[in-house]
Amino acid sequence: MTRGPSRRAALLLAASALASVPVRGVGQAPFRLGLTPVFLDNDSMVIDSLSAALSDAMERPIELVQRRTYAEVTGLLLTGALDAAWLCGFPYLQHADALDLLAVPVWRGQPLYRSYLIVGEDVAADGLADLRGATHAFSDPDSNSGYLVTASDLIAMGEHPETWFSRSIFTFGHRNVVRAVADGLVTSGSVDGYVWEALANVEPDLTRHTRIIGKSEWLGFPPVCARRDNVASEPVVAFQAALLTLSESDTGRAALAALQLDGFEVAPEGIFDGIAARMRLMDS
Amino acid sequence: MIRALRTLPLSLKLPLLGAGMMVLVGAIASQQVLSALGRVQDARLRELAALHVEGLSVALGPLVLRRDIWEVYDTLDRAAEESAGHRMVLTAVADETGRVLAATDPRRVPMDSMIDEVAQGAAPLDELSVGASRATVRLLAPLTYQGRRVGRIVTELDVSDLQQERWRALWLLLLGNTLATCILAGLGYVAMRRMLRPVSSIARHMSGAEGEPQPIAEADIPDGDGELARLARTYNGMVRDVAAKADVERRLGERERFVALGRLSSSLAHEINNPLGGLLNATDTIRTFSHRPEVVETSADLLERGLRHLRDVARVTLDQNRLARGGNPLTTDDLEDVHLLIGPELKRLDQHVDWSAPDRLPAGLNLPAAPVRQIMLNLLLNASAAAGPGGCVRFLAGIRQDGLDIVISNTGPPMSDAARARLLSDEALSPGGGVGLRLVRDLVKGLDGQITHARRGDLTTVRVVLSAGAGGADA
Repeated sequence: MTRGPSRRAALLLAASALASVPVRGVGQAPFRLGLTPVFLDNDSMVIDSLSAALSDAMERPIELVQRRTYAEVTGLLLTGALDAAWLCGFPYLQHADALDLLAVPVWRGQPLYRSYLIVGEDVAADGLADLRGATHAFSDPDSNSGYLVTASDLIAMGEHPETWFSRSIFTFGHRNVVRAVADGLVTSGSVDGYVWEALANVEPDLTRHTRIIGKSEWLGFPPVCARRDNVASEPVVAFQAALLTLSESDTGRAALAALQLDGFEVAPEGIFDGIAARMRLMDS
Repeated sequence: MIRALRTLPLSLKLPLLGAGMMVLVGAIASQQVLSALGRVQDARLRELAALHVEGLSVALGPLVLRRDIWEVYDTLDRAAEESAGHRMVLTAVADETGRVLAATDPRRVPMDSMIDEVAQGAAPLDELSVGASRATVRLLAPLTYQGRRVGRIVTELDVSDLQQERWRALWLLLLGNTLATCILAGLGYVAMRRMLRPVSSIARHMSGAEGEPQPIAEADIPDGDGELARLARTYNGMVRDVAAKADVERRLGERERFVALGRLSSSLAHEINNPLGGLLNATDTIRTFSHRPEVVETSADLLERGLRHLRDVARVTLDQNRLARGGNPLTTDDLEDVHLLIGPELKRLDQHVDWSAPDRLPAGLNLPAAPVRQIMLNLLLNASAAAGPGGCVRFLAGIRQDGLDIVISNTGPPMSDAARARLLSDEALSPGGGVGLRLVRDLVKGLDGQITHARRGDLTTVRVVLSAGAGGADA
């Protein structure tokens, strides 16, 4: 993967954009950033840390907007109620004609992650094939790791989620999927691998009651997007620059540490091809 | 048990009774306290459960309508974590068909199971009670949203702390009541002993060392004019009256004995006087016909018989007086003496007498002579007086297996009520009457004997039965 030139180009673009506009103070309109329910969306310390880091870098207030579902956040972004949003690869590809990528997070050295298939610690199953008739928790119908991967795997098996599982529920949060499986509400769940690993660090008592029985291939990490018609606007450009240079400031490093990410970079070409392939499978 | 209680002294019985009453009152009071505590706990539990159900209804109503299982579970899970004291052990929510949407313990109540399984033994809100047998109770309540019943809620509540509170209260009550009863019963015992001390003193004095009531010393009488002081003074008055009465009766008895002797003495005077004329004639005959030996011999014989008769009369009279103070046992001679003593009186009244007495008395009879003689003499004198001139008097003394049987009958009018009362009862003596019959009653009582009276035709019969070996000390 060749990420260096893209990152440098983005940084230069951001720097020129910042140089061409006056610095805006606290009195400026806040930058509205939408957040999908990432693993720590219920952790105020993480949210505050991210908000502070971005606000410092952009020298303007940041308004973090959270909604329950991916669809709600995507809808707000598409209607212009948000300046940018941290989406998932699946909804991005669904609206690729209207959205542009600003940056993708770097986790453990690469902008990629995987979907995990997990079961309760005492469930005797070794793979998706063993879960016929089980109860299953998905994260969100628009989540790649929390729905698309498992659903497309079942399609590939000639099955369908509604009939394969005795009952499937949506928890609208990757952490909720882990909770539902760990508490025994459901037998199995589809969860973001990055979220599960991060939770294993901060809440080991929660993940200890779950067991991974399947991992997907590496897929593009959920990206930060903006509306294409707005991507060149000054706030969006400043925001992108702030994201890409987040690891260079103390507050930025603190936010990244809280998010357990290495940083942000410009999305490499073809990073979401895997997700696109699964989407095609679903449509077939 | 009841018999043993009856024999207990009053000073022990009353404190025991007080302690028993206290135990009873304590038990009733404890029951009331526990009952009130139970009602308060039940009300508290219902209030808490109602708040829980109402809160869940508000929060879960729309979620149940949408069948949003995760949100239902998440809400239940957060509510359980925030439950005060973790009283809510388990809560399960079902849709209107009874299918479980979520429970706080999904492993115990799985999703899509029927809520009826966990609702077994559950009570509606208005019947919810802590109870005593189980550490948890279950509540079944409808889940209402916007006036519409959209599902059901089963909640299991941990009531072990409330039951422990009730047990703790029960033990504290038991301990407190036991301590209070013991202390108050002890104090009551001491107080009762003090209060009843004058009564105990009266009881002790009533059965004095000699078996006769003794007066209470003035120093032992309680101060003031209370009931017990009045009782003690009244008792002392009664003791004095009884002593005076006994003294009077004793003196009357003495007088009666002399009266009887007095009545006999006139007859005896005749008995002595009558032969005296013959004796004097005999001495004149001896003087006149001293030269005629056959006449002197005859007159001397006549003189000797007369003097012997006089000697016998004198001896019997002396014996009657002497035996009154002696302790000799009854013999057949005593029966003959009585016969001899009464003879002149019967003869004076020209009465017919049937006399029947045993020739010998058994060695084991052992009755004192003086009181028996007095009994027989008094009854015979009374029978003779009742029979009147020319009447008939019968005397029959027989030996029984267990003593002496004396039957004295007479013709004539029946015994008056006053006379019968004196002979057969302890009623007070009516003024004017003699004390001879009452003396008979007292003497027979002293010898543990029995007196019966019968009237058949014109014959009045008094029967005295005396047991062998009785009453020697009283003779």
